[in-house]
Amino acid sequence: MGFKHSLGSRLFDVFNYGLMLLLIIITVYPLLHVISISLSHADFIALGQVSFFPKGFNIKGYQIIFEKRLLYTSYANTIMYATVGTLLTLLLTSLMAYPLTVSKFRIKKPITIFLAVTMFFSGGMIPTYLLMKELHLLNTFWVMVLPGCISAYNVIIFRTFFQNIPSELRESAYMDGANDLTVLFRIYLPLSKALLATFALFTIVGHWNEWFSALIYLRDENRYPLQMFLRSIIFTQQGYGSSEQATEMIQNRQINPKNIQMAAVVITMAPILCIYPFVQKYFVKGVMVGSIKG
Amino acid sequence: MRNQTAAMTGELVDPHGSKNQSPFLQSFWRQKYLYLMVLPGFLIVLIFAYFPMYGVLIAFKDYNVAKGIWGSEWVGFKYFHEFINNPIAVRTVKNTLILGVYSLFFGFPAPIVLALLLNEIRVLAFKKFVQTVSYFPHFISTVIIVGMLKEFTSLDGMFNTIACWFGKEPVNFITESQYFRTLFVGSGIWQGIGWGTILYLAALSNADPTLYDVASMDGANRWQKMKHISLPAIMPTTIILFILSIGGILGTDFMKVMLMYNPGTYETADVIGTYVYRVGLEGGRFEYSAAVGLMLSVVSFLFVLATNRLSRKFSETSLW
Repeated sequence: MGFKHSLGSRLFDVFNYGLMLLLIIITVYPLLHVISISLSHADFIALGQVSFFPKGFNIKGYQIIFEKRLLYTSYANTIMYATVGTLLTLLLTSLMAYPLTVSKFRIKKPITIFLAVTMFFSGGMIPTYLLMKELHLLNTFWVMVLPGCISAYNVIIFRTFFQNIPSELRESAYMDGANDLTVLFRIYLPLSKALLATFALFTIVGHWNEWFSALIYLRDENRYPLQMFLRSIIFTQQGYGSSEQATEMIQNRQINPKNIQMAAVVITMAPILCIYPFVQKYFVKGVMVGSIKG
Repeated sequence: MRNQTAAMTGELVDPHGSKNQSPFLQSFWRQKYLYLMVLPGFLIVLIFAYFPMYGVLIAFKDYNVAKGIWGSEWVGFKYFHEFINNPIAVRTVKNTLILGVYSLFFGFPAPIVLALLLNEIRVLAFKKFVQTVSYFPHFISTVIIVGMLKEFTSLDGMFNTIACWFGKEPVNFITESQYFRTLFVGSGIWQGIGWGTILYLAALSNADPTLYDVASMDGANRWQKMKHISLPAIMPTTIILFILSIGGILGTDFMKVMLMYNPGTYETADVIGTYVYRVGLEGGRFEYSAAVGLMLSVVSFLFVLATNRLSRKFSETSLW
């Protein structure tokens, strides 16, 4: 930058940097606030005096949360849903996308149309619910994993990605007697590690944050994912005050219900917050891959 | 064996190929792995996406579990009439539209402005830092977002502390219907503004840097460069994303609404999605709520069709 910056330009810079700092504060403040509320003394919370940092150290909120059995079952459930769901998504999406790159595949076009239709039409909430009921999938593990594991959008992105792999590789593998399954697993998938990693991350986060399908399809709270546990803590009276000990502590003003609620938020958000800085660039890559028109 | 002979005669080896028109079965057998690979995905889409499309027929039926969907009595457009004549239902249409328009009007320009401002930052490390921080809220679950919103808007929360400075009486914002739209759209922008910049920043980084240099030599100031170089650079992206968001204007995030609203705020908060959930799943009126859902899908689809036509008219780009 060999040019002299005018006064106006410098003023703009000051304004712009100030604005960006403000954005950072607005973004980070709620997260800090949640953490400090979870750790603050009940009286300071009630007076609304807690802002950036905890006031009067207090970890009783965490103690109460950690005594809840449902925290552990829901954590384990979410991990299971995320693991199985992500593996299925990657496997079935790759399997479905690969044949669509073979130009001579007989039903390539019908399959593409078959998938594309689902991008514009859906039966909606009620018919889908009735179907799950009909199939006896309500309140099962699979209802959280199977229905969402294939999406037309993902298949199209995978197909586009696979199409960029030179077809000579495939042809020479055929020469060596490989079949299409071997070609996919030995050649295509190893060359698509970046794609797989990115989509794995998105799918995991999706499962981590999922609550609505659990609300509709699950009855048994032992099958609930983490977000449903959090929901019951934040939005229902019986959520945070269910144990006698908690009720008593709230009455004695030893603890504010917000201690418990915000502790639950922190526990739910912590894993994502911890891995986020390291995997952030993959997420950005994913958006770029997704924006390529299929 | 076939491959070997093909290789020897110098033909392109391709197990799927059929030089001379072979019967369907023969080609099917040659491509058996491809069929096998498509099968699981095909079944899942068929069951979980197509069966419900058939199931939507109950919107025109007096659904009887014993008789099944097809066997149940046809009732024509009964439920659609009922919907149109129900003032509470019509309110949900109004709320859905208003919420969609507000989200578009305020939520769409926000990332563009941020991307343009970010583009003006010359200290790359700082720019990177702002980006990393501002993307994060995108990954926070709706339950947490609404939980935080509830905390901030509570009587002893931060919003009321600020309102106090201006001598206002404390209000429990989330239970007052007049604040619902602001809170919904505002928290949406908080969550999405950073993430929304990614595509614009990519478009900006594709702008030719020599353009900026030449413009500087000709004495253009920052504002002029932004207006004549940066803005045109993001124009195509803007148009496509704008079309996509008009197409999605009815697709309110009703799950977020469900966490935010309560009977006191139905006046402004009740949207089609939440109404379908309440009446259908909680109230058990499957046929009626399926009809409402179907109407929403049809109108949404018409929106997508219309916007796609618009895009074809105004730009080279269309969705199909």
